[in-house]
Amino acid sequence: MLTMTPARWLLVLSLALSLLVVGPPPAAHAQAGGVTLNLVSWSYGVEIVRDNLGKFQQRYPGVSVNYSDFSWATYHDAMVARFVSKTPTDVLYSSDHWLQEWAAAGWIIPIDESFPQVRPYLSEYSPFVREALTYKGRIYGTPYYADTFIFVYNTDHLQRAGFTAPPATLDELTKQAEAIKAKGIAEFPIVLGWGQQDPFSIESFTALVFAQRNGLLFDKDLNPVFRAPGSAAEKVVTWAADALGSKKILSPTSLQAANVDQIRALQSGAATFGIIPSYSLAVLNDPGQTQQAGKFKIGLMPGESRATVGFIRFYAISSQVPRRGKEAMTAAWNFLDYFGGKTDGEYRITKRWSLEKGLGFAQTALFADKDIRAAFGKWADVDMLQKQAQLARAKEGMTPYYGTWDVFSRAELHKAYLGQQKPVETLANMAKKWEELKAKAK
Amino acid sequence: MISERSYPYATVLPVMLVVALFTVYPLLHSVYLSLHENVLTRPLDNDFVGLQNFREVVTGYYFWRSLWSTAVFAVMAVAAVTLYGLGVALLLNQVVLGSALLKVVVLLPWAIPAVISGIIWRWIFDGDYGVLNGLLLVTGIVDRYVPWMSQPFSARLCMTVAHVWKQGPLAAVFLLAALQVIPAELYDAARIDGAGRWHGFRFVTLPYLKATLALVLIYETIVAVATFDLVYVMTGGGPADATAIIGWYAYTEIFRFLNLGHGAALAIILGGLLLGLVLVYLRALRAEEA
Repeated sequence: MLTMTPARWLLVLSLALSLLVVGPPPAAHAQAGGVTLNLVSWSYGVEIVRDNLGKFQQRYPGVSVNYSDFSWATYHDAMVARFVSKTPTDVLYSSDHWLQEWAAAGWIIPIDESFPQVRPYLSEYSPFVREALTYKGRIYGTPYYADTFIFVYNTDHLQRAGFTAPPATLDELTKQAEAIKAKGIAEFPIVLGWGQQDPFSIESFTALVFAQRNGLLFDKDLNPVFRAPGSAAEKVVTWAADALGSKKILSPTSLQAANVDQIRALQSGAATFGIIPSYSLAVLNDPGQTQQAGKFKIGLMPGESRATVGFIRFYAISSQVPRRGKEAMTAAWNFLDYFGGKTDGEYRITKRWSLEKGLGFAQTALFADKDIRAAFGKWADVDMLQKQAQLARAKEGMTPYYGTWDVFSRAELHKAYLGQQKPVETLANMAKKWEELKAKAK
Repeated sequence: MISERSYPYATVLPVMLVVALFTVYPLLHSVYLSLHENVLTRPLDNDFVGLQNFREVVTGYYFWRSLWSTAVFAVMAVAAVTLYGLGVALLLNQVVLGSALLKVVVLLPWAIPAVISGIIWRWIFDGDYGVLNGLLLVTGIVDRYVPWMSQPFSARLCMTVAHVWKQGPLAAVFLLAALQVIPAELYDAARIDGAGRWHGFRFVTLPYLKATLALVLIYETIVAVATFDLVYVMTGGGPADATAIIGWYAYTEIFRFLNLGHGAALAIILGGLLLGLVLVYLRALRAEEA
């Protein structure tokens, strides 16, 4: 019989401790008789996601899905931690902000070589979506939703201030905002989601730049043209600094606001104008959420070109999946196809998001879908929405180092808005950072 | 059977394993990372670069700015925590009705995780729907909501308040413990000599608290310099990097700029800074024991 001396007990304890530290085997990958996928998303419409997952698993009984979600503001960092620590992650949400960064890091994989059936979908997408889903000529996912940044205004405020049409340029926006402020309708008529934490903030800023004459940030060789004297970016930064500083028409809370805070300010009637992803207009005009519902309309982005940013959030496959074998790859593709592609000839999940949450879509043909037109028509002028979408462009400068530049730029822009440095200094710093990152990437 | 000679080694082995795994290995790995190029978007470039990461970090755009922000925050936070701790300790040292309950209430924030307290304070200070603005408006102190966290100075102030709420109780406990061992006879003697409340505090209480105050100051400096969680949940380093203290900068280098080499170099610099403060702390501790 084995006698357990104190030393043996200690040895057993050490072994047990080691096992605890090493952790359990990746059981999620080896469920008998099927495949388990680990899905990670940001926290939005979680109940709908779960319901969709139930339907997906009914359709593919051999596949089960473990689902976890993180807040949008911390999603990038949470995913970096997951990727680096090799936490089981198979299918995930991603954004065009991060596609190239994550692809260059080898965290997500192109799907068109293994699953060429994705290619026919491309012709149905808006041009900015095709561009934003591509890195080095390869396709990295199927769309979760695609949307544009739109300019919204409170019609009641405008009417009370004596305006019959929304502003068409930044100068007109300033004049209307000053009039609204002077009449005491809103203390700060403009509110923007420009908090340093919110990844939407760079898109909202870029949308304003795109709307101006020669609204470019980079040339075709990825040189920063925003630094040039009199650039569209300089115009926007100068305008914002004046609006916040001397004119006091831009709400100071803009510098701490995420998109959701901007929506709240508009819903409360405290502000008149905002720049939001178009799906947020559904929330603004939802009578269940605000007394201001029905008062918000889309105006084309204020600026000479009226252009805006189109963006894409998509489903991607992590590089952990190919290592798990063909069965896992097929399951991951089935997931991407079910959620971002067609099921029984229609974009079922995409359409559901549009109908229930007002999310935009990559597939231009869906603008003609009668259900979607009817649903969108409850909160927006669908023709205007489509018109703005046709003027949308993908963000410029999409490179593996865009994410780094974005984070750096958010703080630099704040310094100009707050008057800590001149707009030209901010833009020079942003250009210098860009060139430094570009040089290192070569 | 393990011999008697190796028995002591066997008994400390589990602890040594844990320390090696969770302290020594990460430390050595950080040193390794800091001496190599390690940008996650360039996974194949892992050359040994010597001290280049340290050079780039120290001469980079952020380092001195974040060090300045850290110094400003540390000065504000340490002064406020110490004063708060002292005030609360003096109050709790009095035998007043409900002082036992008061002790629990004052200590409560200390038991709340920093992230939770950061979120609570972020909501309190919110410029659109914060309860602080609501109170100030109702009492007529302000005529409209103030965007507390949209201006650099007030954002630092908000963070300091949240930090004091979380850290103040610990300082109060330290100081209360010191207050409770001051002999009551000394106050009686001072009173007989004609000392009022202020002189009693100045010439009896303060000299007795000196060593503990030194400990509190040094410990709270360490905590303030190493603060990260409050920045993460309250400000994200903004506005305009006003609250981007050095711990946040290290986090940004790793998780947002994806430069593990720079992040590790920064972590080592921060570790060195904290080690220096710990040494001062230990010296002060020894002085108190003596």
